[in-house]
Amino acid sequence: MFHFKLGQKQRNCDGVSRRHALRLGACGLISGLTLPRLLELEIKAAAPQAAKAKSCIFLFLEGGPPHQDMWDPKPNAPEEIRGPFQQIATNVPGTFVTDQLPLCAKIADKYTIVRSHSHRDNAHSTGYHYVMTGRKASFRDGDNPVPNNEFYPSIGSVVARERGPRGALPAYINLPHPMAGGGPGFYGAEYAPFVIEADPTQPDFEVKDLSPAGSLPQKRQNIRKKLLAGIDEIERQRNRGQAKTMSTYYEKAFNLMTSPAAKKAFDINSEPDEVRDKYGRTQLGQCALLARRLVEGGCRFVGVDAPGWDVHFNCFPSLQTDLIPYADRAFSALVTDLEQRGLLDETLVVMMGEMGRTPRINAQAGRDHWSMAQTIIFAGGGTKPGQVIGATDKHAAAPTTEPIGVSDLLRTISSLMGINADKTYFGPLGRPIPIVDGGKVIRDLV
Amino acid sequence: MATLCKHISITIAVLIFGVGFASEHLLAELRVSPIAVLLDSAESSQQLLVMGERDGREIDLTRSVSFQVQDKRIARVNSQGLIQPLVDGKTNLNIKWKDLQETVPIEVTGMQQSAAVSFRNEIVPILTKAGCNSGGCHGKAEGQNGFKLSVFGFDPLADHQAITMESRGRRLSPANPDRSLFYLKGSARLPHGGGQKIDPLSYRDKRLLRWISEGAQFDNGDEENSEIIGIEIEPKTHHLLAGEQQQIRVTAIDVSGKRRCVTTEAEFESNATSIADVDTLGLVTASDIPGEAAILVRYLGHVAVSRITLPRPDNKFKRPAENNFVDRLVWNKLEQLGIEPSSGVGDAEFMRRVYLDTIGTLPTVTEAKQFLADKSPKKRSRLIDQLLERPEYADFWTMAWLDILRADQLKISPQGAVAMQRWLHRHFEENRPFDRFARDLLTVQGNTSAEGPGSFYKILAKPDEAARSISQLLLGVRIECAQCHHHPSERWSQADYVGLAGFFTGLKLKKLPNGEQAVVSLVGKDLPHPRSGELIAARALGAETADFSKALDRRRVLADWMTSSENPFFAKAISNRLWAHYFGRGLVEPIDDIRDTNPATNEPLMQALAAHMRDVRFDVKAFTRTLLNSRVYQLSSNANASNETDVQNFSHAAYKAMPAEVLLDAICHSAGVGEKFNGWPEGYRAIQIWDNRMPSYFFRIFGRPVRATVCECERSNEPSIAQALHLLNSPAIAEKIAHRKGRARQLSDSELSTRELISELYLATLSRYPTDKEETLMSQAFAADGSDRQAACEDVLWALLNSKEFVFNH
Repeated sequence: MFHFKLGQKQRNCDGVSRRHALRLGACGLISGLTLPRLLELEIKAAAPQAAKAKSCIFLFLEGGPPHQDMWDPKPNAPEEIRGPFQQIATNVPGTFVTDQLPLCAKIADKYTIVRSHSHRDNAHSTGYHYVMTGRKASFRDGDNPVPNNEFYPSIGSVVARERGPRGALPAYINLPHPMAGGGPGFYGAEYAPFVIEADPTQPDFEVKDLSPAGSLPQKRQNIRKKLLAGIDEIERQRNRGQAKTMSTYYEKAFNLMTSPAAKKAFDINSEPDEVRDKYGRTQLGQCALLARRLVEGGCRFVGVDAPGWDVHFNCFPSLQTDLIPYADRAFSALVTDLEQRGLLDETLVVMMGEMGRTPRINAQAGRDHWSMAQTIIFAGGGTKPGQVIGATDKHAAAPTTEPIGVSDLLRTISSLMGINADKTYFGPLGRPIPIVDGGKVIRDLV
Repeated sequence: MATLCKHISITIAVLIFGVGFASEHLLAELRVSPIAVLLDSAESSQQLLVMGERDGREIDLTRSVSFQVQDKRIARVNSQGLIQPLVDGKTNLNIKWKDLQETVPIEVTGMQQSAAVSFRNEIVPILTKAGCNSGGCHGKAEGQNGFKLSVFGFDPLADHQAITMESRGRRLSPANPDRSLFYLKGSARLPHGGGQKIDPLSYRDKRLLRWISEGAQFDNGDEENSEIIGIEIEPKTHHLLAGEQQQIRVTAIDVSGKRRCVTTEAEFESNATSIADVDTLGLVTASDIPGEAAILVRYLGHVAVSRITLPRPDNKFKRPAENNFVDRLVWNKLEQLGIEPSSGVGDAEFMRRVYLDTIGTLPTVTEAKQFLADKSPKKRSRLIDQLLERPEYADFWTMAWLDILRADQLKISPQGAVAMQRWLHRHFEENRPFDRFARDLLTVQGNTSAEGPGSFYKILAKPDEAARSISQLLLGVRIECAQCHHHPSERWSQADYVGLAGFFTGLKLKKLPNGEQAVVSLVGKDLPHPRSGELIAARALGAETADFSKALDRRRVLADWMTSSENPFFAKAISNRLWAHYFGRGLVEPIDDIRDTNPATNEPLMQALAAHMRDVRFDVKAFTRTLLNSRVYQLSSNANASNETDVQNFSHAAYKAMPAEVLLDAICHSAGVGEKFNGWPEGYRAIQIWDNRMPSYFFRIFGRPVRATVCECERSNEPSIAQALHLLNSPAIAEKIAHRKGRARQLSDSELSTRELISELYLATLSRYPTDKEETLMSQAFAADGSDRQAACEDVLWALLNSKEFVFNH
């Protein structure tokens, strides 16, 4: 049996562990210090719409969540397609999900199910790239550098660039490790995600490099601060020019280290036990909770990578015991919590993976990759809740309504975030690269 | 429309009396061009230029003068000096500025019956200027909403078809021209996804309508004579002071020699907008940063450049001494611009800079002390000679070239990466000439795991991929654009692209019995043009068709062409690359984008460097020696008031971000504790690691390149919060600082005084002695009673590692 335990190394079918692949530079394809022209922007279309969402939480179920076992049940399909799960009614009349999502079923009036997402990239690293950048990957699947978007910026980097931070917290954060498709591409390191590479379920959870290593006594910390301030003062008097940029980053780093708001945002241990339980003591659950805290602290885009969904073999036990219940709990708790705090209107929550899964259960009792159909869940941030948008055929194999593509998804997120998706930046070769290439805002969602 | 474009000058008596006219009495004349205006079609226009002279300098008065058309029914003129026709007839234009006056005759014809509109010559520029065929809209490969145009209109025939015939011809309504979708959408009379791109009732709008009414012809029946063969721009060079403006005029010339003002139809782009920017009307506005900008003008595939210079006037330029031609040419430029160079760099800063630049390594404390104590006036050039012979020179440059040769071990296999690493290392160790480097890279054959650059072709298996990478890498020419369309700012066409790819068609990767691969060279073939399908004979960029009669391997012919002394690109490209490395910015920038329309910021210097490269027969060390011994290289990085804003003239040394590997080595060196790399023997340094996939948080956040392109720009220079946090707080660095065998502990265990300890730490990190002020600052870490010297040493070391002076090479 192929059973996933959270917190362990996760492997996808391409045989490379994601955590193991965290090894490549957060590289921009351009060097901003030498190519000022490329950083100049050109506004091509109308002024951006007024922002409905101030922040976005992007829950990425990496590996490909089975849409028919979660959001798009097909009770009348043959068993080898329908699977073992039953459909249940939600609190929105006429909307059904599977019985694996009992918590989400109770709050279906707070989110919208988009069943007609469809694209043509049926692999993990390339699909991840496609979903997060809106552009087809130019590499073969199986090449798993992180970030894999060497050229095109991810939607997170776009948000960071267009909206900037709202406080001491970085504008764009990844949890609990870098998202493979989440890099800044040619936008450069400035728009790379700040990665919290730590597991918030662990009691010793802390943000890497945020506080001094070891147990440095306060007295020495003070001395160090004084020495550095002294050096800074001397450098300021002596220097004009480029060193200023680095100063800004030190300032930002110090702000992050010393800001009470940031400190509070990262301190997941201060959450009451019942809240932590409500989200689930799982990596996804605690990341979702931390994401809420980060959004409260002013972060614009939190990308949560939740691996383990690549269920090719004997999938139903792990779906039933780990994967779906964890997602059910995390998502429903997050949406409810945001709403109770009055934050749902200004926080867009999106949950999806790089693809859906095959209609027919395979010989190993699993489901394989199926990018022809996937369900995306949207909540808050100005979206209209309580709807089902789009539909798939009787086997959940392909949309029967107008397919919603990756560009539509990214244009919708941009638009809700108040970003002009047609804004264009020049890439390294001097070619204009619009934020989103084509696409339409998903009809009825906004 | 034909115009006479010679200038007339009318000299006005110079008023030399009266203080009240201080600024204007220097203005002697108005120079108006053209001297007569002929407008021969309804949508034609003529841009006037009115120039004057002040303080011996030409200035643009076009927007300062007042215009008046005598007969307002015939033509009109706007404040930018653009004349547009109204009805047939003749009149005069009066131009007035203070008490200077000028008159220009205007003749309007063809309002009743203009020559037929030619799609190729008159509609395509409209589509380009309005952005319809831009890469972000209908010009992208898949078009936009089912309507596709060729990007920048490089394929007018296809565009004509797309508009007149595709979608069952629904885009045009010949019977009701003003009901044509094509006409209604661009002007947003009907809803248009891209918004309003063409103003209703503008000349563009009118011309589109007239073209449709006339039957939407591709040509106006006079293609023999009407083909545009070139454009002329005025002024070609111009000096502006801060905040001043200059109008550019663009004139198209056809085969018959007829000239037509196309200023309103051309596109304008500045290569240095921080110095001078240009708007869509061709009006250049100078900023307050001295330097040069090239304004690229594009019209129907023709390109031209107007070079705008922003000097800083009233600066008394004291010409510093010269060590070699580099100094002479840089001082010339600075003198011309009125920028004062910074003072010479101190010994310590020079030492740190030259160590990091040439060998990617900090000097040891002993080396630093020795150099600083050396009283010889020749010590700098001696140090340069020594560094170029150090083994780290080969390590450092091998690393740099592994990046741009794309030695990604995942893609070319570890064996391939090692093979390339050994070849590079030997190349730099033996200082083989660079033309040999190029020849070896171009003509390599055999097992890709054997020492050599063969694995370069593992990722460039397609002929055109190899061609464009080689072109960017060795010639500094980015021909990639021409894969899909005519290069928008160069003369390169798709034919040039496939012509170059033709040299690599004989190249094959062969699988060997042991599973490895070999590069073999078979007989090549010519490739078809991507649009016409016609076979294009292999030819190098701008060269004649290649002759393969004497060479079996086509690549050899390319190598001969490339390394010949007449090659216009090769010596320039490597000179510019090396210059950019040592000076932080290329003379041409981006460094691998050399083209006529992207001139060097100091063209004489660029030429001289290329000539020098050939003179030293591509001996890279000899060339480097010339750069490093120049006074320009040995300028301080501290700017002065006059050069603070200068970014392109090398008036002061640049702050350069250290490559991730060099920075890690520098931290290890300063802390006195090496890094143990997983799978590598103890003592290996980061710059020696060929494995670009070795997991490392440090390398990831400090921007080690993924080796995905042959562009040096892949190495990320921008700082991030994660970097700052890592240097401040990471356990890995803290461990090095407090290591029991580390420098801090060793020093605190020694007999040295507090003062001496601080000096040692400064020498180990910043390669210099501390100033008195710094000594006072740092001694605060030490308790009066001398207790806990170790903690104090660690704290000082920590603070120094986090200084900008440490993190940057300057």
